[in-house]
Amino acid sequence: MKEFALMMIGAALVNNVILARFLGLCSFMGVTTRVDTAAGMGLATTFVITVSSMADWAVQTYLLNAYGLGFLRTVTFILVIASAVQFTEMTIKKVSPSLFQMLGIYLPLITTNCAVLGVALLLVEGRMGFLASTMFAFASSVGYSLVMIIFAGLRERLVLANVPRLFAGPPIAFIVAGMLAMAFMGFSGIATS
Amino acid sequence: MSRDALNPSPASRHLSPPSVEGIARVVRVSGDQVWLEPEQTTSCGHCASSASCAAGARAAAGIGTVTSRLQARRFVLDNPQGSSGFHEGERVVVGVSERSLFSAALTAYGLPLVFALAAGSVTQAVYGADLTTMLGMAGGLFLGLLAARLKARRLAARGELSPRFLRRASPDETCGTLEERS
Repeated sequence: MKEFALMMIGAALVNNVILARFLGLCSFMGVTTRVDTAAGMGLATTFVITVSSMADWAVQTYLLNAYGLGFLRTVTFILVIASAVQFTEMTIKKVSPSLFQMLGIYLPLITTNCAVLGVALLLVEGRMGFLASTMFAFASSVGYSLVMIIFAGLRERLVLANVPRLFAGPPIAFIVAGMLAMAFMGFSGIATS
Repeated sequence: MSRDALNPSPASRHLSPPSVEGIARVVRVSGDQVWLEPEQTTSCGHCASSASCAAGARAAAGIGTVTSRLQARRFVLDNPQGSSGFHEGERVVVGVSERSLFSAALTAYGLPLVFALAAGSVTQAVYGADLTTMLGMAGGLFLGLLAARLKARRLAARGELSPRFLRRASPDETCGTLEERS
């Protein structure tokens, strides 16, 4: 239990997908102008990463490893991720058309989010069991969502700040992102192993 | 319905609760119902290549294209402040409250995940095998989706999932300018 908790804290905070592994930077800069859209995107990505990691683990264990097809890993995972996104889109549409109307816009963007593939490949390196790998993927995506929401909150405040014209817009956003990354480096002091 | 009533003043906009706004185009008006299609928004904001990367897809209609996705996301507004004032091709600004968006996202994505992870953890604790854990988690996900469906029905009954008409869009208004304004 303790190992699980430490692994999840490590995945979410210490080795954060965005600020430590530099994955998912497109959505990090593109969808963080408002907290609500960042939270929506974060939750959608969390769902897709977790569901696709479940499928990736099964494919890796029962297909790629079993038949010595490890060299097809990246291509297979891309296919699995695209299928997971499509599955999510169809399911949300079936569960509630109103929810699909409201949230459907985030889903196609996730297919091309490198954080999803990055986490799937990290799982293979980890050689974990099914539950551990799913929890690792969930914690990684929670870390992703957390940073998205924090950064969106900072950018909302930046709009109200008196920023010099030269730094207004993306430049100050990049500077703030750098400071946020340095702040997250503080978590590396937590011993997770 | 007068033109002014359909275009609230900027002062009255600030009185309404914070909402996520988007631009939609009127595609059909029938009686008291107005059918709207959301305008395509760019994934990464306003990069220089967004026009070239979306233009071809936007023009074509077929499975997986932007056009087909937009058609799938068409929605209807019942009598939005007197639907007689609307005509096809008109651009309007619609919005949903921030709280509704967050609760919708929690319902659609959070609830099934919680069910799946809880079911997977319980199955692992009881049986301890990967295959059974996988089946347990898939069952939990299914149950979670059913729970999400029930919650979504409740939200829809309260009208929290329906976009509201806010105002007519000015000709130079785009999703980008809406974000800057908010």
